[in-house]
Amino acid sequence: MAAIELRAVTKTYANVVSAVRNVDLTIGDGEFMVFLGPSGCGKSTTLRMIAGLEDITSGDLLIDGVRMNDVDPSKRDLAIVFQNYALYPHMSVRENLAFGLKLRHLERAEIARRIDGISAMLGIGPMLDRRPAQLSGGQRQRVALGRALVREPKAFLLDEPLSNLDAKLRATMRTELIKLHRRLGATMIHVTHDQVEAMTMGERICIMRDGEVVQVGRPLDVYRNPADTFVAGFLATPPMNLLPGRLEAEGGQLHAVTDGFRCALPRAYAEAYASHAGREVIIGLRPEDFHETPDRAGALGGLPVTLTVTTVEALGPETVLMASLMGEAGPEIATRVDFGREYEVGSRVTLHYDTAQIHVFDVETTKALARPLVSAG
Amino acid sequence: MTTSVVNNAPNRIHVHDRRFGWLLTMPGLALLLLVIAFPVLWALFTSLFEYTLINPGFHTYVGAGNYAKALGDPEFLHSIRVTAMFVVAVVVLEFALGFLIALMLNDTERGKDLYYAILLCPLLMNPVVVGLIWRMFLHPSLGIVNYLLGRIGIPPVNWLGDVDVAFWTIVMVDIWHQVSFMIVLLLAGLAALPREPYEAARVDGASSLQCFWHITLPLMRPVIVVTLLIRMIFAVKTYDLVYIMTRGGPGVATDFISYFIYRSAFVGLDLGEASAMSGILLVIVLAMTAYLHRSMRAIS
Ligand SMILES: Nc1ncnc2c1ncn2[C@@H]1O[C@H](COP(=O)(O)OP(=O)(O)OP(=O)(O)O)[C@@H](O)[C@H]1O
Ligand SMILES: [Mg+2]
Repeated sequence: MAAIELRAVTKTYANVVSAVRNVDLTIGDGEFMVFLGPSGCGKSTTLRMIAGLEDITSGDLLIDGVRMNDVDPSKRDLAIVFQNYALYPHMSVRENLAFGLKLRHLERAEIARRIDGISAMLGIGPMLDRRPAQLSGGQRQRVALGRALVREPKAFLLDEPLSNLDAKLRATMRTELIKLHRRLGATMIHVTHDQVEAMTMGERICIMRDGEVVQVGRPLDVYRNPADTFVAGFLATPPMNLLPGRLEAEGGQLHAVTDGFRCALPRAYAEAYASHAGREVIIGLRPEDFHETPDRAGALGGLPVTLTVTTVEALGPETVLMASLMGEAGPEIATRVDFGREYEVGSRVTLHYDTAQIHVFDVETTKALARPLVSAG
Repeated sequence: MTTSVVNNAPNRIHVHDRRFGWLLTMPGLALLLLVIAFPVLWALFTSLFEYTLINPGFHTYVGAGNYAKALGDPEFLHSIRVTAMFVVAVVVLEFALGFLIALMLNDTERGKDLYYAILLCPLLMNPVVVGLIWRMFLHPSLGIVNYLLGRIGIPPVNWLGDVDVAFWTIVMVDIWHQVSFMIVLLLAGLAALPREPYEAARVDGASSLQCFWHITLPLMRPVIVVTLLIRMIFAVKTYDLVYIMTRGGPGVATDFISYFIYRSAFVGLDLGEASAMSGILLVIVLAMTAYLHRSMRAIS
């Protein structure tokens, strides 16, 4: 029930640190937006500006088309989960949850109903009469999340709300949050470091770096078409391999070349990249685009690449192989292959690279070269 | 083997430390006993005898007689009532004013240290000096207060000589002198409050008044209790101000316990009864201190 719009929003702390720079971003009514970025890139600051807890140095913040820069936080009807929880230390869990509702003069029965619902969902029912100091970190985080959720406001601002939970609980909460979002239809901004959360929860993700928005888009679009080497190197684990190389024109075809790797580009790409023919570029190879058999490496059958295995990380459903191109001395890359085959460190393997998936970036700007859109499935 | 030796060493030093610590505090403790415990014990002992300055000496043992006499003395009971009223008045008014100023200072960004320094000035002054200064200021015909009031057309007030006014004059001067004490303690408490709950409350929809009521007050509770208790204990013992400004008068309007005890001993010359009254005052203050002690332990 709230569209949030940031127009050239900038935050400068104490006239020195520029925490957020010139952010233009529109979050649609009822949209689930994920903020993703390395530590210190300004995610919390952006969220706090939207909540009204930090002054906006310059630029405009609009909620439902109304300029909100100078509106008191108490009048914005937003709820926030703070990165540090910020629970009321002198109140029990139940009182923490009820506080915002009491201030809004909700009926006692309605308050009790909502608290029951949320505490069951978050598994904090047995702790309702305890003080925050008597809870573990993960329990406190769930209370913080609960305090925001019971409010059912126009928009939720969630600053890493699941960071302190164990893997299983985190997965449950992820689905619960998605369900809740669907049920309430409220706008949600979710800050996270977690790749899985970013990919699975967001309708769109917004990737930030050094206070600036680098790329905004649907998760799979961002994954398939990262705007620059930063996004490519940040999204997914292990991230894309980025290798310095060249584009060489030869026999009417364009080749991406780096030490121990020479790949003829599909025709459509050759045309798109013609401007960079003969120049230095950065070549991006996703670990998951290497396959054990040629038939799985796309329509073109893939490019055989011979690698020397340096590390094997068996994760269970898949295996991450660190391997060097061109013998031991060559550049090391990560590849992701199916579980089921044993690999030995030092052995040589041949994997098949799906050449249609190659990414090429400009050396100077680090921006991706515009390429024919790889169909989004 | 080596490890066990290393492990034992700290224990031995620990025992030594404790004994050595006692040894070091001995001279101080002895001095304290001499200057504090001895007079107290002497007074308590005296309170059991009929001991007057005309006929000094422990000749006639009267047991609880002096205590019974004191508690049956309407003047003493009056002084207890006046003191109680004074304590309630100054503590309530100083707390209200002090808390208000502390809250404002806590929100002040610029010039905080300057305000703080100015506010501390009265606190650094000796009560006798405070009494003398205000006695001059409040002089019915020569004082600056009545002069200034006259300039705006208010007739002169007999600040210290009017039965209905003198009590409140003492209250006023005490506030001037002691309110900074409240401010300092409460400000320290406010500065130590966590910032996060306020942010959460504002997003939850609380106004500043609601923040004060639901966050500041409950979180400040321990500090408030301790501040009030300390201030009360000191207010019960107020002596210097009345001695300098009113001598308990006019009549017995400002006849606080401490001053009344002094009068009984050195004007009435009945040291036995005065000692008994001191004993009663001691019990009151000790009870309050014990409560204070418990409250402070509850904080930590
Ligand atoms: N109160 C402040 N005063 C000065 N600088 C600040 C303040 N708060 C944050 N910063 C700076 O602003 C930048 C952005 O901080 P922010 O908290 O928004 O990062 P973040 O993206 O949330 O990081 P994380 O993932 O670690 O939570 C950082 O460089 C930080 O040092
Ligand atoms: Mg943060």
